[in-house]
Amino acid sequence: MKTLREMLAEARQLVPEEGPEDLQRRLKSNTPPVVVDVRDPDEYRDGHIEAATNISRGFLEFRIGGAVSDPSTPIVLYCQTGLRSVLAAKQLKELGYQNVINLGGGYQKWTQSGLPVVKDVAMTPDQIQRYSRHFLLPQVGDKGQRKLLRSRVLLIGAGGLGSPTALYLAAAGVGTLGLMDGDVVDITNLQRQVLHTTADIGKPKVESGTRTLKALNPDINVIPLPTRITVDNVMDVIRDYDLVVDGSDNFETRYLVNDACYLGGKTNVHGSIFQFEGMATVFAPNEGPCYRCLYPSPPPPGLVPS
Amino acid sequence: MQATEAVKLLLGIGEPLIGRLLTYDALGMRFREVRLRRDPNCPLCGTSPKITDLSIHRTGGDACAAPNGHPATADAAAPTRAGG
Repeated sequence: MKTLREMLAEARQLVPEEGPEDLQRRLKSNTPPVVVDVRDPDEYRDGHIEAATNISRGFLEFRIGGAVSDPSTPIVLYCQTGLRSVLAAKQLKELGYQNVINLGGGYQKWTQSGLPVVKDVAMTPDQIQRYSRHFLLPQVGDKGQRKLLRSRVLLIGAGGLGSPTALYLAAAGVGTLGLMDGDVVDITNLQRQVLHTTADIGKPKVESGTRTLKALNPDINVIPLPTRITVDNVMDVIRDYDLVVDGSDNFETRYLVNDACYLGGKTNVHGSIFQFEGMATVFAPNEGPCYRCLYPSPPPPGLVPS
Repeated sequence: MQATEAVKLLLGIGEPLIGRLLTYDALGMRFREVRLRRDPNCPLCGTSPKITDLSIHRTGGDACAAPNGHPATADAAAPTRAGG
């Protein structure tokens, strides 16, 4: 009979091991590996690497196919200290997965290296029901929903574009929405700016917007920013958010948001609309073009309505 | 559309509209996709950027203009949509 020590030694012969810094580097690369936390669900909930999917060791062979379709995909496994995962990695190798790596020292060494972790707080029964349709989508699931709940999105403009976007993001359970607009509700806004109601005429848009969004989903946090975005506040405001949605209605703001997002390293989900035509794109710093690649300079004043 | 893109980006799923411009014509009910490339001469994200901070937005008047050296184009790429 083999001893545990022999089993581990045999697995280590077969499975390459990498440290926390190596994994961090891989996760930041353009081809991040699939990370699997093979511990039990309660250990995972208490704290895990954000990118990790939890498949307990007992279910590994049954569920790995759902997480990895191509057997040549790099997979990094980890457990608490790196022992259970090296045995699990050996199993995956035997199943035909070619590129399996064990995280040496496991989760313990990852946290000791000061690398970021996330904790899953238990979802409330209301949340479980509210987001149940998301849980059914394999691309979202429980893990994706938790990520949305932790996410922060800044909406610039609570008007024609900002209204529907804010409603959908609130409904989807994006945990924090910053709503920035310096205008008050006008009766002429109401045929398209669906965040606001007739009773809101004359009130700040961020006030009626916050009320509508909280009524739709009390689970989220809405931060009203009742001011116009300016060169003096833009960097401070965007800093706190993961993503910016530009729903502004003038070129000055679009160029300002574009420049600030590029300089601040924030992805900008851009949209604009005129009469019956609309357009949308995403400006991701250093991954694709920016607004100035598309339009180096604004149109002459008076050419377009604002 | 912006909401869907935001959710995809937050979750890291699907193919976001990076480098693609999607246009929507409601009357014709047509969508069109235009490939966008990074402009190496872009005054902001090009190889030798002229905009390295937001000071361009502090100057009065034409605050969002491209600085000298990158002439404004008057071709089909000129923005035509302003309404929010």
